Amino acid sequence: MTRITTIAVAIAGLAIASYLTIVHYAGGEPVCAIAHGCATVQKSSYAELLGVPVALLGLLGYVAILASLVKDTETTRSVTALLAIAGLAFSAWLTYVEIWELDAICIWCVGSAICMTLLAGLATTRLLRAPVR
Amino acid sequence: MTKRELREQRRAHREALEAAEAAKGTRRRRFQILGTGVVAAIVVIAVAAIVSTSSNGSPADTASLTRSTVVDGVPETNGVLGDPKAPVTITEYVDLQCPICAQASKTTLPTLIDDYVKTGKVKLQARTMHFLGEDSVTAARVAAGAQQQNKLWPFIETFYANQGTENSGYATDDFLKAVATTAGVDADAAMKYADTSEAESALTTANQDAQAVGADSTPTFTIKTGDGAEKVLLVGAGDIKPELDKALAAQR
Repeated sequence: MTRITTIAVAIAGLAIASYLTIVHYAGGEPVCAIAHGCATVQKSSYAELLGVPVALLGLLGYVAILASLVKDTETTRSVTALLAIAGLAFSAWLTYVEIWELDAICIWCVGSAICMTLLAGLATTRLLRAPVR
Repeated sequence: MTKRELREQRRAHREALEAAEAAKGTRRRRFQILGTGVVAAIVVIAVAAIVSTSSNGSPADTASLTRSTVVDGVPETNGVLGDPKAPVTITEYVDLQCPICAQASKTTLPTLIDDYVKTGKVKLQARTMHFLGEDSVTAARVAAGAQQQNKLWPFIETFYANQGTENSGYATDDFLKAVATTAGVDADAAMKYADTSEAESALTTANQDAQAVGADSTPTFTIKTGDGAEKVLLVGAGDIKPELDKALAAQR
């Protein structure tokens, strides 16, 4: 059950990251509920890390998490937890940048951060609660 | 209990102990993995912070900007371009984010500078308004910093040459620093001044002056002879020559 929920959350995160990646490469502005916040974040100098869009990094992260969820073994459960915790840290950093450095909130980025937080919680629970043989 | 039963019981007991030990090992391994995850998380944040800090404000940012040459070779004194003793003062009311102001820097300004400012007929000053949004405010504050270095006009014109989409948040500290550096301004000093109350009062003065003369859109060019009254000369990015010649002739 935890695995199915984790997959569902990862797919939601993947959808958000895909949208932001497409918008980044298309050069447009994301549809945003909070005026200009998304465009501010997307066009800021923090939108890329060493030339790689952070949206693309997020997309790759979600793909890796989904790939680790294909099989249900001790190793894959560990990999999911590791990826999700690292992803959570990256999301936390980006949220800090949004609030304190850019003074702008991107609702899509917040959505992705929520997905990553849920994933970290679910993956950790799944790893710790798995039957011990 | 037979000997065999006793042996079975011992084996079962030993297997149970081994299973418990294995389970304990698995749990320990899982916590170690989670600990590794936490360490990885700290590393991720540290790397992201270091890479962002070092890439922001790198010379590459500056190198990609265009430097405006519109005011090259014209002396500036405290924001006033041209001969400070020129009898006529033209004031341009601008908002650095305003696209028509950027257009005026290509259409109106070259004639004004080449034919009137450089010839000593006119001196030119700017009032940086900031009604279009947050980016206008930050940009206007740094412009006030550039003015302290007698580089207001190179800053304004270089800003226009690299102007982004209105209120898209492009006027970040890094962008403003890059514009300032490209324009030949000491960026750090200008940014420092931008945070002062003097920079704030420069913005207030610009608004008050605009209100007094009735400049309610940008760009607005006004004219003033000596201590005479300031009058609106041109609104927009059109040809200033006919109106200016008419005004100069009337004041003779």
